[in-house]
Amino acid sequence: MSALTVSHWLVGLPVLAALATLALRRTPHLAALVAVLASLASVVLATIGLFVAPTRFQGIIQVREPVQVGGIEMPFELGAGPATAAVAAVVALVAAAVLVFTRWYLEDDDRLAQFAATVSLFTAAMMLVVHARDLVLTLIGWEVMGWCSYLLIGHWSRKESARRAAYKAFIVTRVADIGFVLGIVGLVAGAGSTGLDAVIDAWSGPDTPATPAVRSALLALVVIGVLGKSAQFPFQDWLPDAMEGPTPASALIHAATMVAAGTVVLAQLFPVLVHADGARWLLGIATAVTMVGAAALALGQSDLKRLLAWSTVSQVAIMLSALATATEEIGPDPALFHMWSHAVFKSLLFLTIGWLSVVAGSTLAVALRGAGNVHQLARVAWLFGLLALAGAPFVVGGLSKEHVLVTAYEGAIGSGGPGVIVLAALLVTVVLTAAYAMRAHLVVTAPLERAEPSAAGDDHPSGMPSDAVLAALAVLTVLTVVGGLILITGLFDIHRASQWWMLLTLLLISIGAGVSWLARSSGDPRDAFVRTRRHRALADRGLGFDTAYRRLIADPVLGLARVVAFLDREVVDGYVRGAAASAGIAGWFAERGHRREAPSAGVGLVALGLIVAAGTAVLTWR
Amino acid sequence: MTLTMDWGLLLPALLPVAALALILVVEAIAPTARPVLVVLAGFGLVAAAAETIPGLVGDDDPRLTLCTPAPDGRCMWDGGALTSTLQLAILLSTLAVLALISVRRAGVIELVMLLASASGGVAVVAARDLGTWLITLELATLPVIALVAWRDRRAAAHGALTLLTTSLVSFGLLVLGTALWVTATGDPTLTGESLATAWAVPEQRTLAGLATVVLLAGLAFKLSAVPFHAWTPTTLTSGPLPISALLASSSKLAAIGALIVVLAPYDAVVDLSPGPHVVVAALVILTVASMLTGTVMALRQTEVVRLLAWSTVAQAGWILLPLTALTVAGRQAAAVYTLVYAVAGLVAFAAVRAIHGRRVEDGRELTAYTGLFRRDPLTGGALALALLVLAGLPPGVIGLVAKIVALRPAVSAGLWPVAVVAVVAAVLGIAVYVRWFAVLFGEPTIDAPARPAQRRASLGVALIGSAVLVVASALPQLLVGLVS
Repeated sequence: MSALTVSHWLVGLPVLAALATLALRRTPHLAALVAVLASLASVVLATIGLFVAPTRFQGIIQVREPVQVGGIEMPFELGAGPATAAVAAVVALVAAAVLVFTRWYLEDDDRLAQFAATVSLFTAAMMLVVHARDLVLTLIGWEVMGWCSYLLIGHWSRKESARRAAYKAFIVTRVADIGFVLGIVGLVAGAGSTGLDAVIDAWSGPDTPATPAVRSALLALVVIGVLGKSAQFPFQDWLPDAMEGPTPASALIHAATMVAAGTVVLAQLFPVLVHADGARWLLGIATAVTMVGAAALALGQSDLKRLLAWSTVSQVAIMLSALATATEEIGPDPALFHMWSHAVFKSLLFLTIGWLSVVAGSTLAVALRGAGNVHQLARVAWLFGLLALAGAPFVVGGLSKEHVLVTAYEGAIGSGGPGVIVLAALLVTVVLTAAYAMRAHLVVTAPLERAEPSAAGDDHPSGMPSDAVLAALAVLTVLTVVGGLILITGLFDIHRASQWWMLLTLLLISIGAGVSWLARSSGDPRDAFVRTRRHRALADRGLGFDTAYRRLIADPVLGLARVVAFLDREVVDGYVRGAAASAGIAGWFAERGHRREAPSAGVGLVALGLIVAAGTAVLTWR
Repeated sequence: MTLTMDWGLLLPALLPVAALALILVVEAIAPTARPVLVVLAGFGLVAAAAETIPGLVGDDDPRLTLCTPAPDGRCMWDGGALTSTLQLAILLSTLAVLALISVRRAGVIELVMLLASASGGVAVVAARDLGTWLITLELATLPVIALVAWRDRRAAAHGALTLLTTSLVSFGLLVLGTALWVTATGDPTLTGESLATAWAVPEQRTLAGLATVVLLAGLAFKLSAVPFHAWTPTTLTSGPLPISALLASSSKLAAIGALIVVLAPYDAVVDLSPGPHVVVAALVILTVASMLTGTVMALRQTEVVRLLAWSTVAQAGWILLPLTALTVAGRQAAAVYTLVYAVAGLVAFAAVRAIHGRRVEDGRELTAYTGLFRRDPLTGGALALALLVLAGLPPGVIGLVAKIVALRPAVSAGLWPVAVVAVVAAVLGIAVYVRWFAVLFGEPTIDAPARPAQRRASLGVALIGSAVLVVASALPQLLVGLVS
């Protein structure tokens, strides 16, 4: 089986699974089972893909006669490469774990089948983005993901807050997509082809189709779209609100799809991005602001699920910052590697907290105190997930974060990009991340004797998930610990990092974790950092960005719409009403003229016509 | 004088006459065999229609006959593609009217008159000399007066009288115009060469212009263009409905064919200086007045046949619009527009008859159509489609295409003001038809008219016409390509 066949199947299989699941929606459990089996088949396929993946620098691309649309060639090609295979494998794995978890978590939901179908379609869209070697296919996958995220976040659409979160996610990402689409269209127009390789060839060489400033502007537009989809500043606020969706949906959106898609697309466009200094500065500053701000907000959340959401925002900023600072020799693979490891440990964390929330009946930190004691696996999974999140050495997150640090350092000393700012932000973020990871650990594993586990919902009386879920969690935990071994396979093109960086991060992590540890006496270390009630509320509301969106964007747009509606109703329609009135008046006069439709009147009109005709003749007689 | 004769080209006009003669003979021998007569008439029309097909599908060979010998030979009969299309449409619309009259009720008078009218219409569009043209034009229109009056109703007689008065005046004008034309050009045939020769001399030019304007006035009666339209609402509402349909379809096709014949020689002089400004001015006045008057009057009608009558006046303006360019493209566009209008008008009249039945004089208000689409989906659907085509709104695409085709020659000739008026009239025209269209989709009321017992033929005509409209809407190039 060739790598190309694998990539076709990886895109096609989830689509088929989504259709089959939707067709079986009358029997939700069977439908969910079909989705799970298909996703497991995808995992097997992706694993095969890892073995048959082409070696470095030998991306395989399907060769096909391009479709000619006007002056634009559209090859519609899928491709396969080493990093692609690795990313596809982790997407398939996370999707499978999410679906297995969903079968247990949403067991009694009447729309389980629709949820599973949406998850499958979502996976297909992400697979399309990963494998696409054509920007139109990328765009299709990108938009389908936006739509699926709307469906998943709003799954519990009977809840007002879920509906609002879904709308917010959709509208915010759509607004950013304006930039994405414009950028893609500009790149395609310059290259005369939608093929990724043609676009890269056209725009990365010394003689671009337009000036370098135009290239920077187009890439900056693409970056704006990526910032929206990846919930980066200033679009960050939709992601924490999206926690209104079911936890498996959050796991999928945060770990392997949606927010990670931006990294994949920018990695594909990296050969152009590296020459577009304006776009790199935009990306670097936005990610630097985001990673620090989001990490600080994560520390102040009263809800652990929202803490994880802010941590995702911060971690995605870290991977994107690697793209902003990487030099041409380093390439995009450090970012992809961090995306890979983030997918593993973030899905583990989300699925664990989903389990714990079933036990505790809530995701609030107060309710989750000591919830980890319910099962040994929960404690272990939570611990290793948080270790990876904090970037502890040797676990998967630590390795990848170290490479991002090295990349930023090389960028800072090697080229004129935003490397210095990003490096500083990264170091601060490491401290903050360790602090909130420690806090999450302290809260969940607090040595409390829980009175009785009956606080769980009626759906899951024991609070114990099925064996399949436990197995999925175990797999993810093991991968979190030993996932760094993927570097041995050489799928990611990454250089060795220095020991000194490891020591430095270890020191920073110790500082962050130590501060949290020292603040443990108050029960939740957060209370030591965010003291007043007002500040806590501000942190929970993400510094009031929602209000800013409404005041600065939504209200002016609505006001403008009202003005347009007024103009349409009172001015444009005025002409229409005037035309109607004048037609009515003209009709009244004409009818008066035809009141006597008798032969005499007819002859009278004939005479009139004759006079006119004769008059014309006389007038033209010279 | 010897004439070359090609009987094949003359057959579309001769076959209805033959059928007419046969009917008279059969009726004299067996007076009770009325169904046979109807079948004979139908066969006559169908056979004549079949004879027009070679002109549609044939190659570009000139299809001329009744020619005088060379060197300065003149041909008095032209059976080209445009002519054949119009002939086919005239014959088929007459056949549709025959179906509307209904087989059981069609008397020998009706059959004879219909066949005579069809034969005259077929001949006038092919005629290229003024004598044939004048005689056959009257042959096409005079029998219709008898058909209108052939009812013992006071109102019908009144309508026929109106039509007769106007027809007589029209005939007088046409004879005058013919005489002036021969005086101006010295040539009884309508050819570009003789007109161009006459155009070089100022006096003859003025006379030729006057001749054309007078001929236009005479033809404007047949087309019911404003200010020669006064007979239209009276006659259409008081006469039998099938004959109104005939006046709105077959007669219009014959009239536009006759007008095309008169305007064809102007190809030779349209680019000269001074150009034929008088003719253009006369056409523009007729166009603008017809469009605006017809539309605003139709807007105020509540009686459906009167509404259709006024819409006929408005559509006459649209038919004349492309002719203002005095080009080949303009004449073809006028033919296309008339074809589309004739089919849509026939469908509308057939639907009205299918709803009200034979005694259609009473209660033909718009309110009687409330909820028709639910009560009677077939008729309602056909009527809705016809109204959309007349308004030029999708899904009646062919109506829109016809309007664009009609606008194009006028625009390319630089007659922007006329085009602007046409657009205004089109917008107002949408209001006319949507008024009717909208009531079709309401809730049915209790006092809806009872469904007539015998309406199969009317329904058939409506549905076949709708099918033609649907096919033409899906493939507009079929119809547009037919004449270009």
